[in-house]
Amino acid sequence: MGFSINVDIGGTFTDFFVTQDGKEIQIGKTPTTHYELSVGFMKGIREMAGLYQSDLRDFLGQAEAVRYCTTLGTNAIIERTGPKLGLITTAGFEDTIFLGRGRSWADGISLQENKDLARIQKPEPLIPRDMVVGVHERIDSFGQIIAPLKREDVLEKLQILVDRGAMGFVVCLLWSFANPVHEQMVKQLIEDEYPEDYLGSMPVILSSEVSPKSGEYTRFVTAIVNAYLHGVMGDELNKLVTELRTGGYQRPLALVHNTGGMKKVSRSRAVLTHNAGPVAGLHGARTLGQVYGYDNITFTDMGGTSFDIGVISGGRVRAYDFIPVIDRWRTNISAIEVKSIGAGGGSIAWINKLMGNALEVGPQSAGSMPGPACYDQGGEEPTVTDADLVLGYLNPENYLGGKMLLDPDLSTRAIEKKIANPLGLSIVEAASRIRRIIDARMGQEVFKEVVLKGHDPRDFVLFAVGGAGPTHACGFAPYLEVSKVLVPFFSPVFGAFGASTVNIQQVWEKSKTLKIFQWATQSYSEDIDGFNAVVNELKDLAIRDLRLEGFREDQIHFQLEIDMRYGMQYNLTKIISPHLNVKSPVDFKDICDIFTRDYSAIYTPEATFPVGGINIECFYLTATVETPLHKIEPDQINDPQPPAEARRDSRKAYWAGVGDYQDTPVFNFGALKPGNMIAGPALIEAPDTTYVIEPDWQFTLDPYYTGVLERV
Amino acid sequence: MNGMAYGRDMEVVQRLKPEPMTAEESAAQEKIDAVEFEIFSHKMNMIAQEGKETTMKLGASSGMRWGDVAFGIYTAQGDLAVVATGIWFHAVLGQIPVKYIVKHWLNEPSVGVKDGDSFFWNDPFYGGVHGADMGLVAPVFHKGKLVCFVGAIVHTGECGGTDPGGMSNNARSKYDEGLLVPPLKVGENYALKEDILNMFGAMTRDPRTMILDIKARLAASRIAQRRILELIDQKGLEFFIGALRRILIVTAEAARKKVRLLNDGTFRQPRFMDTVGANDRLVKVNVTLKKKGDKITLNFEDTTPMIPDKPINTFFQGIIGLCMVYFCGWFFHDLPANNGLLEILDWEFPDNAIVNAKGDAPTSLSPFTQCIFAHGMFLAGARMTYNLDPSRAVAAWFQGFGVPIFGGMNQWGEPIADITPEINATGAGARPDIDGVNGAGSWFATMSDCSDVETTELDRPFLYTYRNYFQNSYGHGKYRGGLGVGFGLMVHHVPWVALGSFGFGSKFPATMGIFGGYAVPPVFVQVVRGSNFKALLSEGRSNLVNLDEMYAPGNPEQGHRELHHISLTIQPYMNGDTFYVPVGGGAGYGDPLERDPAMVIADLREQRTNAWAARNIYHVAYDQKTLRLDSEKTEVLREEARAKRKERAKPYEEFEAEWRQLRPPEEVLQHYGTYPHPSEGLQAGPPGM
Repeated sequence: MGFSINVDIGGTFTDFFVTQDGKEIQIGKTPTTHYELSVGFMKGIREMAGLYQSDLRDFLGQAEAVRYCTTLGTNAIIERTGPKLGLITTAGFEDTIFLGRGRSWADGISLQENKDLARIQKPEPLIPRDMVVGVHERIDSFGQIIAPLKREDVLEKLQILVDRGAMGFVVCLLWSFANPVHEQMVKQLIEDEYPEDYLGSMPVILSSEVSPKSGEYTRFVTAIVNAYLHGVMGDELNKLVTELRTGGYQRPLALVHNTGGMKKVSRSRAVLTHNAGPVAGLHGARTLGQVYGYDNITFTDMGGTSFDIGVISGGRVRAYDFIPVIDRWRTNISAIEVKSIGAGGGSIAWINKLMGNALEVGPQSAGSMPGPACYDQGGEEPTVTDADLVLGYLNPENYLGGKMLLDPDLSTRAIEKKIANPLGLSIVEAASRIRRIIDARMGQEVFKEVVLKGHDPRDFVLFAVGGAGPTHACGFAPYLEVSKVLVPFFSPVFGAFGASTVNIQQVWEKSKTLKIFQWATQSYSEDIDGFNAVVNELKDLAIRDLRLEGFREDQIHFQLEIDMRYGMQYNLTKIISPHLNVKSPVDFKDICDIFTRDYSAIYTPEATFPVGGINIECFYLTATVETPLHKIEPDQINDPQPPAEARRDSRKAYWAGVGDYQDTPVFNFGALKPGNMIAGPALIEAPDTTYVIEPDWQFTLDPYYTGVLERV
Repeated sequence: MNGMAYGRDMEVVQRLKPEPMTAEESAAQEKIDAVEFEIFSHKMNMIAQEGKETTMKLGASSGMRWGDVAFGIYTAQGDLAVVATGIWFHAVLGQIPVKYIVKHWLNEPSVGVKDGDSFFWNDPFYGGVHGADMGLVAPVFHKGKLVCFVGAIVHTGECGGTDPGGMSNNARSKYDEGLLVPPLKVGENYALKEDILNMFGAMTRDPRTMILDIKARLAASRIAQRRILELIDQKGLEFFIGALRRILIVTAEAARKKVRLLNDGTFRQPRFMDTVGANDRLVKVNVTLKKKGDKITLNFEDTTPMIPDKPINTFFQGIIGLCMVYFCGWFFHDLPANNGLLEILDWEFPDNAIVNAKGDAPTSLSPFTQCIFAHGMFLAGARMTYNLDPSRAVAAWFQGFGVPIFGGMNQWGEPIADITPEINATGAGARPDIDGVNGAGSWFATMSDCSDVETTELDRPFLYTYRNYFQNSYGHGKYRGGLGVGFGLMVHHVPWVALGSFGFGSKFPATMGIFGGYAVPPVFVQVVRGSNFKALLSEGRSNLVNLDEMYAPGNPEQGHRELHHISLTIQPYMNGDTFYVPVGGGAGYGDPLERDPAMVIADLREQRTNAWAARNIYHVAYDQKTLRLDSEKTEVLREEARAKRKERAKPYEEFEAEWRQLRPPEEVLQHYGTYPHPSEGLQAGPPGM
């Protein structure tokens, strides 16, 4: 074994997590270089090589894997700087992507924003209306061709797009997931008519290939976002691959996917790379959970501007009934849900005068620019970070390991002027209230997200990562009614750590309606072949794909999940199928029983309705090749008393329970040893975060260097 | 029965404002910490959101599928304190059935209200709108004490009336409108009663949808119940009861504060409608808003009398509900939604008016009348709120419905009866600084969704011929309304299906513009029986892609073509027949002559408008081939247009004198009342009123 290099690019920093021979861990951070991400990437690689006393060539030459969570392309979507694409769709449905099922104006914005009906707006489209053409063809709900596709019609419409400057084509026809023949014919015609030497490498993306699922709006959008990202990412990734190769790296660069696996660049769909970092983090939490024997984990990541929530249940990271919105675009990829809520250190506190001068925090955020008032970047609004500073929790001289100096006077002034004076409160009371409110909101949002997935958060272990996670964990944990919070050692680079834990994996999916328990006859279906045909088709695709990656069939592990519903229900509930293939109606009964069992557990037994008929609507076959993981070994346990060198000067911090500032001990995280215990109130300063140990909590550094916060 | 003689309870429906504070609620107020209250409010909203999302996940009807759902938390007296919905009328209407339950069943030994019970209703007299809207609540008990109610209201649609789908054009009394269930116990001991579900199934055309929707409401209620009990265990019962009440108090105070900021005055807006269901008739709803201090009073003097045998009557409480749709979405958008908002509102309904239904009068098309009222609210409301915030004094979204309704068997051999979802794709009204949003949704159900074509085709026996934006389907203006949608359905896979549609505004516009903006053009239905459309498709000869082509010369579709009012009685259509409907766009804002010519060119390029409108409405000069704008010539054309306007102008007295000579045909005035002022010479109401 050699080096395993894992990289996660974030908005501010690019994070690195490297192991040598499955151990010898090093972590690092470099500033993200937005103008060209590969610059920061390669700088970080050099720095990591240095940590192993190696030069770049030796380091990359010995690297067995480079795994990458990229945000390439996401900015292009937000800024609309991607390629000019042409959309070919079914004539009569040219406005589908603009109509957006009516409510596309509400996708990707907060509940509060979408209540202000006089000011709503739909997003600027990724493909303008004059780059959309309709071809005459029609397939119906049974996949039958009702109107044939005409070659001349396609060529005529294609010419319009070419004349208007199309740099790529997205082909999105109705019912193509049930019968892709027309989409395939369009692609063939484009390739025949405009061979590669004429058009260069202009992509032709088919909705039936990117997303063979029912529901044309999300399928079309998924294909368009994929094409858009593909156009942006191609060049940048090629540049990066070339630099890695020049540096001595000989294996493929692997991209982490938001579906929870990874694939090499050439076999990755662009749309699957969006939000890969948080999903990788969730996988990291699962891996760490395995070390401890925790199967059920609520994962939270609180940063400057966002608060991400993910769930691991039964030891698995699962995709739920979830429509991932990328920027303002509703897609249908089977992404792992990491829900982001508008709360973070930058959340702004304000007074709602209309509502009787109620103190509110968020959803507006000061972001990283201008940021909290104490950043002294022009921000005048009081934020959660300002409150934390006024309360004495943050060290103005040692924030982010001293990389950023904070000005407590600016925080005090902002809170005094905007909150304390108008409400007739002391400054510290105002700051304390800001903190209580944001902690409650975060805790309650996390609670709702976990229960909506059918779980009880009280039975889950809470992980808190991110720069502000350990600062607020004791505050929001009570709203989940948990008394134990884990802050992993790799918390500052958790996405990169998570990348090191994902397997080679892809989900193959297809919509197909099968009425496996029939209402009219109250009997189980006998359509054994219908079920098996879909599974076998997906299996063939998966095997073919993974063979191209160099794996043998016997290395591949399959798991089948299916979306199911009662009778006329619209929404779907996903279950894990007990059978990969079915042999008789008895197997359908097994599947129905599991559906009713899971449904009953999530929605109460009163909600079940098996006599109304049970349908399968979509198949998801996950093909996984397990990759060997580095082992996380425990260190030896030391005395509970922290060493003297871990103590820093104490400082005054405000504790609501005490009702006053109190001289509070401060510790240096880096000097703590496994086994050390610290009773609250206390503060622990790490390079990227500050632990706030509230009075009735206790901190323990465990043998895995995880900070364990427990309510006493 | 507490003295009620099996008739309607006229008293409970009046109790729309919050009930007087109980001694217990009052005693709790002083102890409520401000921060704890904020945290509590947020938690209650989380619970309501969870309830709403769960309801939507589990239900089956079109309304349920696409978000026509409200989930509420009610005080023990029945006031709605917290709601998660985009259908704001439920924020005040859901409380009536709950207050009914408290009044009649709580102490009735043969019924009672106990832990594990659930109650259902769809009688519009209590639900406020129409029988298609059905609700279910569950009481929440803590240690044997009733502490609140939780429940969901959903437009299930099909309710067993004379026409499938929940809206009966031909209803002549409430007995033609199917199920009319006053609040009724349907579950005990945490189980629904199968005999009652069986009855509901037997009385409606689509039993599976009916029952799945009921189960969905109940499952969500149980989850909310669980959360609330956990919260009470943490915070204490006294805090819970007091804080739930506090939500109503602070909402009412905030509403008063905001209303005080408006100018005092009287704002009038007469509104008219062109149908009474199956017949083209004229009716009037005269909307007057009187604003003084922190109160707004609604008045309906001079409104068409109640029509005892036509389904467009509405109960007065439905009007109050619809008033909330405007308030919550466009005026009180920054306040919580609950019936505390009604503290700013008073109302005066004439005894005999279509906005104050009584007796056995049918009401299944009451949403029409409620919508023309609400359109009056939009127009008068924009003028009333302009001084406070001009950016939210906007033109109306499309008001006239335009909804196909169907019943029969689908391609899987299963019974169906419902509506199609394109009502959730109408255009939004124009704003003072931007155009209205194209295909934005339904103005009264803005969280709803118009579905994918594939989803509808999957279990409905139709093939969409097309579904695109409908050119010029909006009101023109300095800023134009958002586009509406044109679509066609071909009967497919089945021998026949019954189809009709509901809506109004085929004879004159349903949705007027504002501040010089144009109205939304009328909408109507086109059907082709014995159509050759299927053959055109299979032969590759169908070049029809949007609704405006249906009216253009050279339309290749052959067959027996009929044009109908959008309010079309349901009837059978055979395999291959086609049925075309538009949903309108939003109304216009400001004078079209002030529209930036570049925006007209952009609309031409995107085919959102056409050459005729560019020439005759916007007076823009451009090159027909390249669409290059000729700014100078445009200015000349616009000056000419302004000069012509002046030529046409006449003194107001002269105009009024001429106008007063005009009169609609007697036939269409059949139900109007005295013309032009129904209040003059008003007849006494029919027997039984």
